[in-house]
This record gives sequence, structure tokens and C-alpha cells, in this order.
Amino acid sequence: MTITKKKRLVNIVRFFVLGFNFLIVILPIYWMVITSLKTNPEIINAQKITYFPEVFTLENYISLFNMLDYSSYLYNSTIVTMLTSICVVILSILGGYGLARFKFKGKEGMLLFFLITQMIPSILVIIPLYIMFSKAGLINTRFSLFVFYMITNLPFCVITMRSFFERIPYVLEEAAYVDGCNKVQTLTKIILPVMFPGIVAVFVFAFIGAWNELIAGTIFINTPDMWTIPVGLKSLIGKYNVQWGALMAGGVLALLPTGIMFIFVQKYVVEGLTSGAVKG
Amino acid sequence: MNPKDSRQNTQRIKMKTMLEPYLFILPVFILLLFMFGYPLINSIIMAFENYKLSNINDIYFNNFENFKKLFGDSDFLLLIKNSLVYVVLSVAGQFLFGLVLALALKQDFKGRGIYQSIVFLPWAFSTFVIGLIFRWAFNGEYGVVNDVLIRLGIIDKGIAWLGTPGLSLAVIIIAMIWMGIPFFGIMILAALQSIPEEVYEAADMDGCGMWQKFWLLTIPYIKPTIIITILLRTIWIFNSFDLVVIVTGGGPANYSQTLPSYMYTKAFSGYDFGLAGALGTLLMVILGLYAVIFLKLSNYDKAGDF
Repeated sequence: MTITKKKRLVNIVRFFVLGFNFLIVILPIYWMVITSLKTNPEIINAQKITYFPEVFTLENYISLFNMLDYSSYLYNSTIVTMLTSICVVILSILGGYGLARFKFKGKEGMLLFFLITQMIPSILVIIPLYIMFSKAGLINTRFSLFVFYMITNLPFCVITMRSFFERIPYVLEEAAYVDGCNKVQTLTKIILPVMFPGIVAVFVFAFIGAWNELIAGTIFINTPDMWTIPVGLKSLIGKYNVQWGALMAGGVLALLPTGIMFIFVQKYVVEGLTSGAVKG
Repeated sequence: MNPKDSRQNTQRIKMKTMLEPYLFILPVFILLLFMFGYPLINSIIMAFENYKLSNINDIYFNNFENFKKLFGDSDFLLLIKNSLVYVVLSVAGQFLFGLVLALALKQDFKGRGIYQSIVFLPWAFSTFVIGLIFRWAFNGEYGVVNDVLIRLGIIDKGIAWLGTPGLSLAVIIIAMIWMGIPFFGIMILAALQSIPEEVYEAADMDGCGMWQKFWLLTIPYIKPTIIITILLRTIWIFNSFDLVVIVTGGGPANYSQTLPSYMYTKAFSGYDFGLAGALGTLLMVILGLYAVIFLKLSNYDKAGDF
């Protein structure tokens, strides 16, 4: 085989791999969206499964809003998620900076600590926390979710932030000191602007982690007025019958914010994931 | 300023610079230490107690009762087997698909940015919704998977995927592979892109073929990334049980239950916190062993110092 022929063959294989992967990702999403736009009789017609709606309808979205207090879930989800993301960003800037810029006693141990906390199964923490929150009267509050989402997302975010800080040359900081800035001023005026990609990445990690979480939501929250979006949607799964149309409509709405966010900041997220995970 | 003052001053500055790093890290560290440490210790204590949420006023130490109950559970071996099958197949699937995707994405092409945004999208999706999609697609009566397989002539009549031992776990694994391909793809792609182009040029001049280049250059270069990604994902997948809860609820009869999902069920359906604590302690032992293996294989202590 000549080299050009070989190259062409490789390109054909590549094209098929890319196409195949695209289909793998798209088909389940397509199925969710298309189900959400079908009428209910069409959805549960076992004789004839349609790959494209015979009748387009928004009735599932309408019944979703009728059955559930969606705006209240949206409100709860937004508050908890935003609060979590902002606090995680602030704390991981501090922690990441400390770990990146200083040599100090116990640093190795500290890094190990952040690694191990990433490995702890969430259910191990949820059960005792549930008892702890009950005793403190914090069950069924947004605060309980905020605390849980913060601690579960912090370890990875601190390590990610640290590797972003390590990429900034120390000379930049030294120059600021020479000009008479103190540590805090240097951090806020010189380093943070350069750190923009890292901050975006960490914000998105925490946002996605908190927005999508279901288990802790079902445990810490027990009245519908405090439900977040996933917990509210889960209530559509009955013991004997599942409202698939409304559930798929709810799924589409739940995925939109994080999906859109991801498409816009994909570059930063990819950067953050690789630096945070590989190095530590 | 007399000498004594100035000495005190330098001492104070020295103290300040010594304390400085801790000022940055301590807020996070103390928060995490307390919020992870306290629950973990409590969970160990709980493991030795008769702690039922249905009878909260009657909590007492019962020595190893919970552990006896756990190891005596007729489903215990099944749970271990399920966890192993689930973790190994999910990691293997994610890795293989992720590797192939990353290799295909390595060379730039028109529209690569948009393409990446789409194929990496499942990373940003909620496990809950992904679980719903797969539960719906594999539905025994109205599911699209059965329909496609029948049309292709692979099966004659619909399979009750979620109600059949073995198959229900397979659905969970398929969903887990689907949602994890992007992470492997992202990590391996980044590693591939860090290989200097000259290495390949040199290999070309030496007359290396494609396979040789792949096995002798590409793989050794990305090996550290592969190892660390596999290690990280293994523990993450082992811990993650939302898919089990959403897709099958562990059914039929625990055939798709893993250790963490069983712990969840015991605690919040059976309200037996003592037994859940015993399971939790077992998970901690597994985690501890795993962490040691992780540190050995990933050379983490060396990597931490750069």
C-alpha cells in the first residue's frame, strides 16, 4: 500500500469512529427529546413505537408544570447551586493559592488529605450527616444541601485551583511586591485576572455537581416546598406507574442549563479537568 | 529602635511568614476535616450499635452483631460480585471508547470545537436524567432498544431488561459507560496533544509503521495519564450508586445492587443505621486498601512534589 492510500484509509476509519461516537451521544438525547414531544397514547403504544412523533405536542411540558411546582424547584436549585459554587470558588482560591505558593510543614500530608477526601463514598458521609443535621434542626433546609455540596466538591476544586496557580510564574507576583503590593492586593489585582480560566472551571465543576445531585436531596429534604429539580422530578416515578412523557420533558429542562453552560465554557472545563485530575 | 525591639520585630515577621500558608489553607482544611472526619468516626461507632431509626430511643452497643448480620447475609457475596462486575466492565468500557475517541480527535479538522462540545456533553449531564433515559429506553414494553433489536432480527420478542437478573446490571453498566466516555476522552486527548510532533517525525524517518508508532511512542507517552485516570475513575465508579437507585433500585432481588447502593437501601428503606454503619466501615477498609494501591501505582508522593 502506498502512503497516500494508507492515509486515506486512516481518514476513513477516523470518519467512522467520529460518526459512531456522535451517534452514541446523540441517540439517547434524541430519544428523550422526542419522547417529551409525543402525546401520551403514542408514548405507551407497545404495538407501534414511533421514531418521530406523529403529532407534535407540548402537553407533557404543560402537564409537568401542572403536576409539579417547577418554579419553586427551580428557585431552590438556583439558590443552593449558586451559593455552593460561589463559596467553593472562594475557598478553593484560598486553599489552592496556599498549596501552590508556599513550602510548609505538613504540605505533603495536606495534599494526601485532599486526595483521600475525593475518594470517600458520599453515602458514607450522608448517613451520619443526616443524624447530625437532625439533631441541629437543619434537616429540610437549603443550608443542609449547601453544606453537603460544598464539602463534596471542594477537594477536587482545591487541587484544580492549585495547578492553575502553579502555572502562573512567580515573577509576576514578585514584580507586584516590588511595586509595594501586599499579598492580598497581589492576589486580587494581579493573579486573579490571569486566573480567569481556572475560576470558570472550578465554578462550573461546583455548579454541575450541585445542580445535578439527587441522593442527598432526597434524604435531607422532606417537604415538596424545599425540593430541588432532581428531587421534584423523581416524585413522578410512582410505584406502579411512571409518567414518562412528563418525566422526559422534565429531563430536557433539567439538562438545559448545564448543557448550555458546558458548550460555552468547554475549553476551560477541559483545561481544568486535565490539570486537576492528572496532577493530583 | 533598640536591638531587642528589632529582634522581636524580625521574630514577629518570621512568625507571620511561617503562619501565612496556613491562613490560606486552614479554612478549607478545617471545614473538610470536620465535615468528613466527624461523620466517618460516627459511622464507625454506629457500626457497633443497635441503631434503628424506627426505634431511636433504644440505641445500645451490640458488639459485632451488625457485622455478623452483614457477613451472614445470603446476598453478601452477590453484592461483592455485582460491585466487581460493575466497576471492571464500566471502567474497561469507558477507557476503550474514550481512547478510540481521543485518537480520532487528535488531529485537527474543521468543526472540531463544535464536535467536541457535543460528544463531551454527557460529562455535564445529571446522572439522574441519564438514568431516566436509559431506564426508559430499556423499558420492557415500550422501550426503543427492544424495538430496534426486533427490527434487526436479533431477538424475536421483547426482553424484560430491568426485570432479569444479570441484564438489569448490564443496563446500569451501559449507562455508566455512556456517561463516562467524555472524561476518559478529555484526559487521553490532553495527553496525546502533549506529545511533541518531532518524536513522530523522527520515527517516520526511521521508517516506523503506524502500529509501531502507536505501541512504541503513543502508548508509553500517555501511559501515566491512563493509569491515573483509570485509578481515579475506578474509585469514583465504585462509589457512585445513583444509577442503581434510578434505573433498577437494585432489582430484581438485589441482582443489580452494589455495596454503596445496598448501604443506602439499608439506611433509608430499612432504617437500620447500625447495619449501614457496618457496611460503611467495610467500605472504609476497602477504600484504605485502594488508597495504598493508588499511591503505589501512581507514584503520587513523587508527583506531589514539583
